[in-house]
Amino acid sequence: MSKVIQRGAVAPSMNITPLIDVVFLLIIFFMLVNNIVSEETVDMILPELEQPQTRELGDVDRVVINVAPEPFTRKGRESFPLTHTGTASYVKVGTGSGSRYEANDLPGIIAKLEAIKAQRPEIEVMLRADGAIYYDQMQPIMDAVRAAGIETVNLVAYMPDR
Amino acid sequence: MAQTHAAQPEPADQATVHHHSARQRRRKSAKVGELNLTSMIDVIFQLLIFFVVTANFMVDEGVLSAKLPQGTGTPTASTELPREKIVIRLAADPSDDALVSIERGAPDRPIRYTGFGELAADLDRLRFDPESPSAEGIYDADNPVLIEPTGSVRWQHVVNAFNAAVTAKYTNVSFAPAKR
Repeated sequence: MSKVIQRGAVAPSMNITPLIDVVFLLIIFFMLVNNIVSEETVDMILPELEQPQTRELGDVDRVVINVAPEPFTRKGRESFPLTHTGTASYVKVGTGSGSRYEANDLPGIIAKLEAIKAQRPEIEVMLRADGAIYYDQMQPIMDAVRAAGIETVNLVAYMPDR
Repeated sequence: MAQTHAAQPEPADQATVHHHSARQRRRKSAKVGELNLTSMIDVIFQLLIFFVVTANFMVDEGVLSAKLPQGTGTPTASTELPREKIVIRLAADPSDDALVSIERGAPDRPIRYTGFGELAADLDRLRFDPESPSAEGIYDADNPVLIEPTGSVRWQHVVNAFNAAVTAKYTNVSFAPAKR
């Protein structure tokens, strides 16, 4: 009873503590997820396909190989995404320290992939490469995947609904 | 904050005493008002919206699965007739990065295409399909398709050629070493 009187005395205020709790949880969730996803991928403009047949890669054990383009701005390549230098800046295999290789360091890439393949025999490769990269930069990397004993490579491109 | 809530029911006196004192303090400083959380909530919502908008989870990316060819160039002994590969040659256009020349067939009598949609349609027509009324196709769906780009062809065109072969329902598509 006394509570009701007391409440009437002070200005009514909504209890926003749970709201703040929930909002903080959401913030932390999105920060963490963002970091995990961006750890695996490198910023690039993927190939744009005609009548794309791309599909979601299902629940398979995967390692992402990123073939990074030379630094660029999205705005600068907005209307002509392929007008960019076609040499690869670096290659990123998987995540963590030591995942970054020079584009011509094929022995290093093969050794890394072989180590992954030895631990996870069912591994599949997701090959993310910028649409502007030259084919003679990509072909040695596909050879390296093959040399490491991995048969399936999944070429990453944009989905049809884009 | 949650702790004071949980502690309330059990030690009844302590909780009420604590509450009273808090309320008294608040009443005394009623002019000053409570801690103003409005600006903090504003900032938190800004942060929340920022992270919701920037998180995209790569939803717009998909994959084309490719089986890589064996490294050795020697064919395995087989009693079957050797099958003619469908060779798609790509060459870069030095004047425009977005353009690429697409050819199929023998190098001396190539068939040229203006786009990857046309290539996919022609490859589909060439594929033997027992269910189609004309059945004019001459290649099986597992006939090897070889994509042969020059070194300076952009990756987008290579993936597009691969995609065209997949669109035409070929199952055995591979990439040739880059030729100069």
